Amino acid sequence: MEAPFRIAVPDSSISLLKQKLALTTLPDELDDAGWQYGAPLADVRRLVARWQDGYDWRKSEAQLNSELPQFTRDIKVDGHGVLNVHYIHQRSTVVDAIPLLFVHGWPGSFIEVQKILPLLVEASPEHPSFHVVAFSLPGYGFSEAPRKQGFELTQFAEVGNKLMIALGYNQYVTQGGDWGHLITRRIAQLYGHKHSKAWHSNFPTGNPPHPIHRPLLLLSHLLFKYTPKEDEGLKRTMWYRDQGSGYFAEQASYPQTLGYGLADSPVGLLAWIYEKLVLWTDNYRWDDDEVLTWVSIYWFSRAGPAASLRIYYEVNKAYPDLANKPEPTTIPTGYSFFPKELISLPRRWLQVPNLVFQSEHDSGGHFAAHEKPKELVEDLRKMFGRAGPAFAVVPGKVGYA
Amino acid sequence: MSPAKGTPYKINVPGSSLSYLQQKLSLATLPDELEDAGRDYGAPLADIRRLVARWKGGYDWRTHEAKLNLELPQFTRDIEVEGHGVLNIHYVHKKSEITDAIPLLFVHGWPGSFLEVRKILPLLVAPKDPTDPSFDVVAFSLPGFGFSEAPRKRGFELKQFAEVGHKLMLALGYNEYVTQGGDWGDWIMRTIAQNYGRNHCKAWHSNAPFATSPHPIRTPLLMLSHLLFNYTPAEQEGLKRTEWFRNKGSGYSAEQSTQPQTLGYSLADSPIGLLAWIYEKLINWTDNYPWDDDEVLTWVSIYWYSRAGPAASLRIYYEVHKANPQLAMTKAYSTTVPMGYSYFPKDVVVLPRRWLQAPNLIFESEHDSGGHFAAHEKPQELADDLRRMFGKGGPAFAVVFGKLGYYT
Repeated sequence: MEAPFRIAVPDSSISLLKQKLALTTLPDELDDAGWQYGAPLADVRRLVARWQDGYDWRKSEAQLNSELPQFTRDIKVDGHGVLNVHYIHQRSTVVDAIPLLFVHGWPGSFIEVQKILPLLVEASPEHPSFHVVAFSLPGYGFSEAPRKQGFELTQFAEVGNKLMIALGYNQYVTQGGDWGHLITRRIAQLYGHKHSKAWHSNFPTGNPPHPIHRPLLLLSHLLFKYTPKEDEGLKRTMWYRDQGSGYFAEQASYPQTLGYGLADSPVGLLAWIYEKLVLWTDNYRWDDDEVLTWVSIYWFSRAGPAASLRIYYEVNKAYPDLANKPEPTTIPTGYSFFPKELISLPRRWLQVPNLVFQSEHDSGGHFAAHEKPKELVEDLRKMFGRAGPAFAVVPGKVGYA
Repeated sequence: MSPAKGTPYKINVPGSSLSYLQQKLSLATLPDELEDAGRDYGAPLADIRRLVARWKGGYDWRTHEAKLNLELPQFTRDIEVEGHGVLNIHYVHKKSEITDAIPLLFVHGWPGSFLEVRKILPLLVAPKDPTDPSFDVVAFSLPGFGFSEAPRKRGFELKQFAEVGHKLMLALGYNEYVTQGGDWGDWIMRTIAQNYGRNHCKAWHSNAPFATSPHPIRTPLLMLSHLLFNYTPAEQEGLKRTEWFRNKGSGYSAEQSTQPQTLGYSLADSPIGLLAWIYEKLINWTDNYPWDDDEVLTWVSIYWYSRAGPAASLRIYYEVHKANPQLAMTKAYSTTVPMGYSYFPKDVVVLPRRWLQAPNLIFESEHDSGGHFAAHEKPQELADDLRRMFGKGGPAFAVVFGKLGYYT
């Protein structure tokens, strides 16, 4: 049964946070470290001071509650029992709006739907409208966390699919980035055609040229140049792989060990997340309170921040070869390319038969829905609108009044 | 001219630090854990919970501090490092009663400390058996560890760590010396041997030996042997262990090598975060060593109460990785002074013996048990290895001129 939900962090949690912040011990920093060694001390010091005094969680909480209609409901997951799942659900005034499931990643949350939500549900004869569902992944936000081992892409996909069906959306489309990309891709693989009718990603990935696995692509790679944009993208990808994947390696191998510090230290959690909010975005001008709200959602999360790390372990364990052998999907797919995305591959590496929509952008990074809400929504409108390649992909829900 | 004396040092953590730790522990927030997680996901919750409870009530730092001060004669002195100014270095220095004892520099790694010399110190300095050689032992806290100052500038990597160790030995009047170590100690001693070998560093011993894998172009003969001849069961086990370490056990290194500051915030602010981060290695890297809770807490307390704080200790990974991006791939690891290796089966990188052969490898010793922290887990065995290597009849006997290690 669905229950309406309002975020209401207990006073005791807020006062414990304040007590811990008052005892914060900051490390030193090397001269001229800049961003080379991680989150800079001056930034973290300033954010801690604000978090302690000035930042008002109750105000952010009220704003989230007023802008995002939230609910919880129990979802049964094969082999994992029942999990109580937290989600946002907003219907458009357009009755036959397109049902859309938005799936976040790490260190994101349901908050990433905040800016695109009003644009997606908005009614207009010029563009399609959507009914939007955005759930907190199990272990994130205000959803329960799995209790057993082995909760991987298949299970996350199961939760998303069952939620949509429970809400009366037997057929729907999806949008996601980061883990949302992998989860919506799994949804497409498991429930494509029958339930998921199309999927859009702002974190497209594909296999590189390879003499055996992708010989034609290798030939093209050797013969034809890449555009300057693609070369930049490859450099960014190499940076991510060589300098930017430490968090991934630890989270995929010993998430519990890392979890102790993130659960016990607000500044530890703040730094761990803040570093990504800056490095993964395209000169996005973060407001301190905005950062603190993102981090507070992890700090005050139902399962605590340590639970959110386990997806890396479970997926890495279930699919050791994920990067090399992703199973294809067959439903219509759309990709949006933002230049500061972490993995930014030459476009010809990403061509697949069912890729019906592509959109290039000149700016924007990993958190597309948060950094470039208008642009992302514009892409979805183009993909699913009257003139678009995925128009009427959900029968009877074409998105117009 | 006699070298300036070091300043005697006794560990004396301020009372305010002790009570600050207690305040933090009283606010401890522990995460949950998946059912039947065991050690697969990291340090088990039951262990951490128990250790935190002990740290709050029962564990007495002052007792352990006093023991350390009693067992380990400590000093500090300023060492000038090119391009980095002066760093105040903390070290243990115990001289043998034998005048011509062999000067030995012990170099620790991460998450170790000067503490690792504790058990082998008496065995090396005052062996009971007169046929065993005696050593003068120096064990310094690496800059950024224990009670040494930390570097303030960027770029403090192997060259600089080696410089500190070498200059310390010279300052103590040991113009010629030998070295022993593992973990970062191995790489630092390697660099000492390369930069100060022959004239100063006369021999070195590692319990964490490293070499590159066979390669068709770089080491064709080794490649051929690799393809043609089997490895022993022990070597195969070692390769499996090495693979585990590379594929699953290197997350800490990936983060410390790329974003040490980011990680440092949680280790500096949360005693539990620091405890778990280190404890997991104390378990995973040892060979069923029966850690006592107070023993663990003392190891971790050295990081918690360290002069520079725990975040500083991570930077060696970043600096070395940045200065030597291909370190593990190249022959930059090779040395020419006499070298000895001790092999412990549960160390984290355990390579086939033929990969480790080198013209200057004059001593090898196999062990049936023991892991990464050899000096702590297997002090007797390690001491015996050093005795066989440097003692009368050993391949490195009399390597330091005039310092044979025996009464004359």
